[in-house]
Amino acid sequence: MTGRVFSIEEFSTFDGPGIRTTVFFKGCPLKCVWCHNPEGQSGGVEYMRSPNGCTGCGACLAAGAKRTGMPCLCEESVVACPNGLVRRVGIDYTPEELAKKLTKNARILQGSGGGITLSGGEPLMHADFICACAPLLGELSVALQTCGYADGEIFARVLEVCDFVLYDLKLADSAAHRKYCGVGNERILQNYRALAKSGKKFVTRIPLIPTVTDTEENLEALAQFISSCGVDYVEVLPYNKLTGSKYRSLRRRYEPNFDEARENNLGYEIFRRYGITAKKM
Amino acid sequence: MTELVKRQLDLLRSREYRNARVDVKRDVAYAVPEQLSPIMQSADRFCAALAEQEPLFHGEDLFGFNRYTKELCTPMPVGAHFGNLTVDYPTVLAGGLGGILRSIDEKYATADEIAREFYDSVRTCFAACERNVNAYREAAKVRGNDRLAKALEQVPMKGARDYYEALITVRFMHYILRINRTMHIGLGRVDQYMKPYFDASVKNGVTEIELLELTELFFIAMNLDTDLYEGVQQGDNGQSMVLGGIDKEGRDMFRALSEVCLAASQELCLIDPKINLRVNRNTPLSLYERGTQLTKQGLGFPQYCNDDVIIPAMLAWGYDEEDAYNYSIAACWEVLPSYNGADYPNVVTMNFPLVAERAIYRALPEAKNFSALQSAFVEELGAEFAVLQKEKGRYAPAALLSAFIRPCIERGRDIFAGGAKYYNYGVHGAGIANAADALYAVKRAVFEEKSVAAQEILDAMRADFVGHEALRAKLLAYPKMGCNEDAVDEVGCFIMDAFCCCLKGKRNNRGGIYRPGTGSAMEYLWSAARVGALPDGKRAQQPYPSSFSPSLTARTDGPLSAIQSFTKFDMKRIANGGPFTMEIHDTVFRNEEGERKVAMLVKSFIDLGGHQMQLNAVNRERLLDAQKHPENYPNLIVRVWGWSGYFNELDVNFQNHIISRCEFTV
Repeated sequence: MTGRVFSIEEFSTFDGPGIRTTVFFKGCPLKCVWCHNPEGQSGGVEYMRSPNGCTGCGACLAAGAKRTGMPCLCEESVVACPNGLVRRVGIDYTPEELAKKLTKNARILQGSGGGITLSGGEPLMHADFICACAPLLGELSVALQTCGYADGEIFARVLEVCDFVLYDLKLADSAAHRKYCGVGNERILQNYRALAKSGKKFVTRIPLIPTVTDTEENLEALAQFISSCGVDYVEVLPYNKLTGSKYRSLRRRYEPNFDEARENNLGYEIFRRYGITAKKM
Repeated sequence: MTELVKRQLDLLRSREYRNARVDVKRDVAYAVPEQLSPIMQSADRFCAALAEQEPLFHGEDLFGFNRYTKELCTPMPVGAHFGNLTVDYPTVLAGGLGGILRSIDEKYATADEIAREFYDSVRTCFAACERNVNAYREAAKVRGNDRLAKALEQVPMKGARDYYEALITVRFMHYILRINRTMHIGLGRVDQYMKPYFDASVKNGVTEIELLELTELFFIAMNLDTDLYEGVQQGDNGQSMVLGGIDKEGRDMFRALSEVCLAASQELCLIDPKINLRVNRNTPLSLYERGTQLTKQGLGFPQYCNDDVIIPAMLAWGYDEEDAYNYSIAACWEVLPSYNGADYPNVVTMNFPLVAERAIYRALPEAKNFSALQSAFVEELGAEFAVLQKEKGRYAPAALLSAFIRPCIERGRDIFAGGAKYYNYGVHGAGIANAADALYAVKRAVFEEKSVAAQEILDAMRADFVGHEALRAKLLAYPKMGCNEDAVDEVGCFIMDAFCCCLKGKRNNRGGIYRPGTGSAMEYLWSAARVGALPDGKRAQQPYPSSFSPSLTARTDGPLSAIQSFTKFDMKRIANGGPFTMEIHDTVFRNEEGERKVAMLVKSFIDLGGHQMQLNAVNRERLLDAQKHPENYPNLIVRVWGWSGYFNELDVNFQNHIISRCEFTV
């Protein structure tokens, strides 16, 4: 069994308590228009080319053409680039390999009251892998950062091996969720209710996408839902214009279908009305 | 900060005050009186330069003792570069220059000829000092600055009685030593030797606000003349202070005055004085958090120095227990005894990549295994050190400086002639990471994988990788120091061990030892310019990282891996100085949570046995340079919002966005 990871980021400062290492799993059931980690969407191996320092020599694409007949980035491109700008995105680990890599920093992580954060992509797509890997992490605390889209049974299983959850809620209306994220939100809301009842420590996070998730109607509906689950604290993540930065490296285009420049509505007042404290991250 | 501090800070920042300085007055160039002995010559030079200094006050100056002439009329004598030490503040604070003169009086009758000449030269210097102090006192009176005028009746000729008088004394000592052309005089353990005077002021009812104000005005004064005293670069002036530290009983000596110094520095955001914080494994997280608040300002300090490493290292080098516990930091990071050393902590630099380059060219064609290459490295290291050992250090008789180094007065000998207690030399070590990465790459490619022929490596090095791009890409992809991979870190440990063994037992020309260190100073450019392409993928003349850090071409997994790579060696053996240096984007510091985590990271490094650490909140100039030369900055991490990314991987418009955000950071 292997889990495919697109990045391991040490010292991620805003992904839970203490010093943490965040593992980004590859593959996601959602396809959010505003996704800032587009290399996490596909479950397949991809190649990214950093635009900076690129002289346009074409060696990378030529290497791809040699292999496939089409100019593209591939394993040979990594070596072909004279400036080392092409890298493989998607490394497969066995649970043991990943645990070994993560526990090399155990002393620092534990000493600070931190641990590992499992993120993505969507870590719940790697439920079996996580259930096998988490027990190998020893005393390290494990946080799950999730969109919540998974079968209820799978979610429950992963929840079992995690100590803390960072749970994203985006849109309260399922049709809108389907439009912007590619899938309906029923499972997400259902798993959220289960999480709220589970007694597990968690934080609700709402990405504020201008004119999409930060509208009065959506925040009101989310607040109503959140408070109905007995939750009184959320973190709101303001939109950052750097969101689209990685698309070009994947030879893709970032095409937001909303007004990026619009000032975010932080929605504090709405949350307050529902007895929820909102904190900007 | 008070209104007075604000006004003085504005004055400093305007730089217009510098226009008040005058040209050298004398028409005839100063000529060294050849008939005098060298020690008396040194006194004469000092007196000539000081005689030109008329009282000059800047704004509502509470301290005076500013440089009056733009230039000094005296030439730089051979050996006058000697510096990078901490002088005897406690003795001068306690008894003033008069106290030292009294000691001389007591010894004079029974002193030998050499001692009498030395004492005479000190008396000459101090007489000139007294004339200058009197002139300042009168000028202060005329200006209506009664507070300073009154204090100058006491200090610096007599001992200080309170915090204000103590600060004047220190300011005065720096002023005269600079006129003496003594470079890079550190402030030492300010919070320790100032304590009695600080406490006296507290007892006298001086309020906390007034104490902070005095400290801030003193800090501002320390910045007034720094433009006249540059080292290799502007700002390289050696005005570093040391705060905190443990005593023999293991008690933490961080105290109220230490906190006042940090608060002053945080409010002022000036480059001087530079702060070194002494920490140890028991230092609470709260102190690191306090330090991080300064880092957040983009100051680049405090630099953290680990007592658990440095004190045992000093003891092992033969320093007395008291001196080991009382260590200071020189201009940058070199560890020193306070007050009584004539150590030369940066006498030469070992250029590790150069040694590796020579070893590879010489031994690789014939080498049967990696051990053969290692043996060649050890030999080349020894040969290079034999060359470096010929550097004798730049000592010259210096009457004034010697008066402030123990036990010169007691022995009746100047610093040049055995008056000081210690004469150890420090050897910097530049490019350790590059050398380790280069040797490891050869080990792996040629001897383990056997995927590259030795000749191919040598050809690529000679061609600076032109036409060998695929090989370079392969070599660049190998793990480097900073990845926390034992295989490569072990090579780093081998290099450091070889360095320590090479220096062990060697005596310098003054009878002292050689202390190995991990510092690079400006040699990360200068030494690097002498070295060609190396098997770690480094191109010819490409700079090294700053001191003890991952190479500029290494792509590490992140700061946690990096700090572990650089704490594997027993740093007590290589503690001359040279910090692990890390750049952190200032958005990490945007809330208390981020600050606390940076503090945790520093604490982790110290707890792992790290030696010294300095942090930079990333600045705009660096980012702009990274745009022009991305290949030099593969490790430059930028905090985008809740995630970090490599700067190189962002589109240029996003890079520009971050750069524009940096415009408002210091």
